Amino acid sequence: MSLVEIEDLRVSFRQYGGAVDAVRGVSFTVNEGESLGIVGESGSGKSVSCAALLRLLPPTAEVSATTLRLDGIDVAKAGKDDLVRLRGRAAAMIFQDPMTAFDPVFTIGHQIAETIQAHRNSSARDARKEAEDLLQRVEIKNASDVLDYYPHQLSGGMLQRAMIAMALSCRPKVLIADEPTTALDVTIQAQILQLIKKVQAEFGMALIMITHDLGVIAETVDRVLVMYRGEVMEQGPVQQIFDTPQHDYTKQLLASLHARFEPSRGSDSDTPALELKGLAKAYRIRRRRGLFNEYVDFHAVQEINLALPKNRIVAIVGESGSGKTTTGMMAMRLTDASSGQILVDGHDISNLSPEALKPWRRRMQVVFQDSYSALDPMMTLAQIIAEPLHIHGVGSPREQTETALSWLDRVGLDRSFANRYPHELSGGQRQRVAIARALVLEPTVLVADEPTSALDVTVKAQIIGLLKKLQAEMGLSMLFISHDLSTVKSLTDSVVVMYRGRVVEEAPTERIFSDPQHPYTRALLEAVPVTNPRDKRSRNFLSAEEIEARTPRLTVLQTGVAPHSKPQLVAIAPGHRVEAYVTN
Amino acid sequence: MLGFILRRLVSVAFTFIAVSIIIFLMMHAVPGGPFDANDMPVSEAVRAKMMAQLGLDQPLYVQYLRYMWGVMQFDFGVPYQSPGESVLQLLSRAWVPSLVLGGLGVLIGAPLGILLGMAAALNRNSWIDYLASAVATIGLTIPVFVTSMLLILVFAVWLKWLPASGWPHPERWILPIIAYAAIPVATYARYTRSAMLDTMSRPFVTVLRAKGLSEQRIVFQHVLRNSAIPLVTVFLPMFIGTATGSIFVEAMFRIPGLGAYFVSSIETRDYPLEMALMLMITFMYCIAYLLSDIVYALINPRIRVGGAE
Repeated sequence: MSLVEIEDLRVSFRQYGGAVDAVRGVSFTVNEGESLGIVGESGSGKSVSCAALLRLLPPTAEVSATTLRLDGIDVAKAGKDDLVRLRGRAAAMIFQDPMTAFDPVFTIGHQIAETIQAHRNSSARDARKEAEDLLQRVEIKNASDVLDYYPHQLSGGMLQRAMIAMALSCRPKVLIADEPTTALDVTIQAQILQLIKKVQAEFGMALIMITHDLGVIAETVDRVLVMYRGEVMEQGPVQQIFDTPQHDYTKQLLASLHARFEPSRGSDSDTPALELKGLAKAYRIRRRRGLFNEYVDFHAVQEINLALPKNRIVAIVGESGSGKTTTGMMAMRLTDASSGQILVDGHDISNLSPEALKPWRRRMQVVFQDSYSALDPMMTLAQIIAEPLHIHGVGSPREQTETALSWLDRVGLDRSFANRYPHELSGGQRQRVAIARALVLEPTVLVADEPTSALDVTVKAQIIGLLKKLQAEMGLSMLFISHDLSTVKSLTDSVVVMYRGRVVEEAPTERIFSDPQHPYTRALLEAVPVTNPRDKRSRNFLSAEEIEARTPRLTVLQTGVAPHSKPQLVAIAPGHRVEAYVTN
Repeated sequence: MLGFILRRLVSVAFTFIAVSIIIFLMMHAVPGGPFDANDMPVSEAVRAKMMAQLGLDQPLYVQYLRYMWGVMQFDFGVPYQSPGESVLQLLSRAWVPSLVLGGLGVLIGAPLGILLGMAAALNRNSWIDYLASAVATIGLTIPVFVTSMLLILVFAVWLKWLPASGWPHPERWILPIIAYAAIPVATYARYTRSAMLDTMSRPFVTVLRAKGLSEQRIVFQHVLRNSAIPLVTVFLPMFIGTATGSIFVEAMFRIPGLGAYFVSSIETRDYPLEMALMLMITFMYCIAYLLSDIVYALINPRIRVGGAE
């Protein structure tokens, strides 16, 4: 008998004006010790199917199934006691965002111990001891301290480890991981995936990995279920799905992993479209010292030099907190810089008054990550796209509307969308509108701040394709900000890697991938999930100290620059700069 | 924490001084005085003598400093409207009924409101949820003198269950306590319902369910504790607002409480009593907010324990 048996599962949600079918006739099984991946985009029903297995759906959900069994228990008929057995002991779950998955007012230790005590007769003391052991098993070094930490005192990666420890606390037979790494940085993602595989083997559990990311699938599972719009498209061994996909949707998913790169045309002009010279941002932080306040500077971005050549795409890549978004916002003058210059086509705009800046605003536009909050919900799409024309007084109202309509065409939306509102669109469609609004003024510089990171894989590939097409048509110079090296691979001409507020490496895209020099760049590349299960491997991860210690050391002869006690950016090949110590 | 309390106490002292100056100036900025010709037809010489006796002929700043010097020694002067006792004696006499009735109103009303709000949140869109909404709306919108009148009409006049008014017999307390409780019940029902619903929609509640905790434990330990944070902070200010008496409730039920003096002290230009009442209210609110902040920090680790690993 299988551990998980689902046959003809149907879930619909009651809503105003009828029911919405989320899952339509899904069947699958999971055996003991097996790893099953469920891949699909948002709304495909992958999370809902697993939530139904633990009866975690809201009361508005209507669930029916021929068979819905977990560890021999009929889930639909489970009483109170059965539910306690199902949840935590038969199956444990880990969730997408570790920052919101813990109760903020209790310590980590309390929350793990209470799980143990909910399932077993265990004294508070024993439960706490066991919680500490579990934390150690998920490779948290200062486990005894972490027991007494509150969730807000830990980073996302540490919290996800603690969440895994909590899931393990009742020795579940199957671990359900619902997008466990989507909210994390790439390097942390790789560590968490490796940890999940490790504990799965140690505890002999089955694994259900729910994700939208084929890379995560390739890294972690034996068998794959591809879901689309509430139905199973195909299922099979992971290698077979990657090598000989049957269904069109699966093929589309796989194609998004292997987009081809074509360099942009560039320009003869030597003047960069956008140049940042010594741009820095420091925040004053107030600290309490007894009765008085003390002010400390926090350097979010340290004196950055960066050039965006005309008609080129440059990526800024780095983890959260690396200063990449701050840099982009400073370049747009949406955040005030503490010092440094911003040159647009050779003109310094860093000290211009708002009025003097206005004509420059026409030439530099921005696209944000969250298209939902970036579009005014009270305006129609035509109004949204035409608004920049109105602000800058371009053309008559009639012409403005006409231009907006033609831009709907250009970004691949039907003209009939003109009178719709943002909430009627999907995430990908909204991002298309945001791109149209940014480009309607025909700017020369576009800053795209993680424009695809909130999107599903296939949609992401479409948006990248659209940006690339428009860039070539308009001769745009684009600064593409991303946390993920694999996203930029098919799009950008060169890559700037930021780490802790500094640029640590900068090189043409192919060189970054083929010959990375800085240990942090290498760590980033190492963490990118594989694109085929054949290539999966065990990885070593560097701590921040190790990265610092492995900073390249070069001599004055090699670099031709003066020695310095601190690392500095030095050129090691045309267009390739790396942060290194220079000694005699 | 100690540093925080000390800093706040310093700011309480500043607030107190600032408020006392503002009130003193406003009090004297109103035209007229306690011995105006139409209220008290006495000769010019007598009036001048009375003014001199009470120190009212002195420059304002001298009057202010004199009064505040007294305050520092707990001497709030003698009320003009009742010269047989000191302000302090008047306050301690009149405050008792207000404190008992208003205080009991909040102490009974707040838990009732919390229970009602919880029941509403746990049974969303059921009859009890609608009842809670109705109670909250009625309690907050119908003025307290209307509620009081209705209570007297129904329970004292029609049903003849309870006496309509008076003091000090405890059976006469019931109706005014109900009148006082209306606002705490309504406020707490509303706050509790929305705080609990807000908490229950947060992802960690799904996690708690998924790890096999019982529904009771989830509600009573996790949801309630998270929802309590906004509830605790409104309690003390509400208590002070109600336990200093309402002129309407006290007038309706003929209670010899503090409420009436808030109005009469201003009407009759009773400077010492007016000042004392205002300073007392200011001081109590300052302390109430200080205590609320401390309790808030105690139940919210994000404030109590600093950030970062």
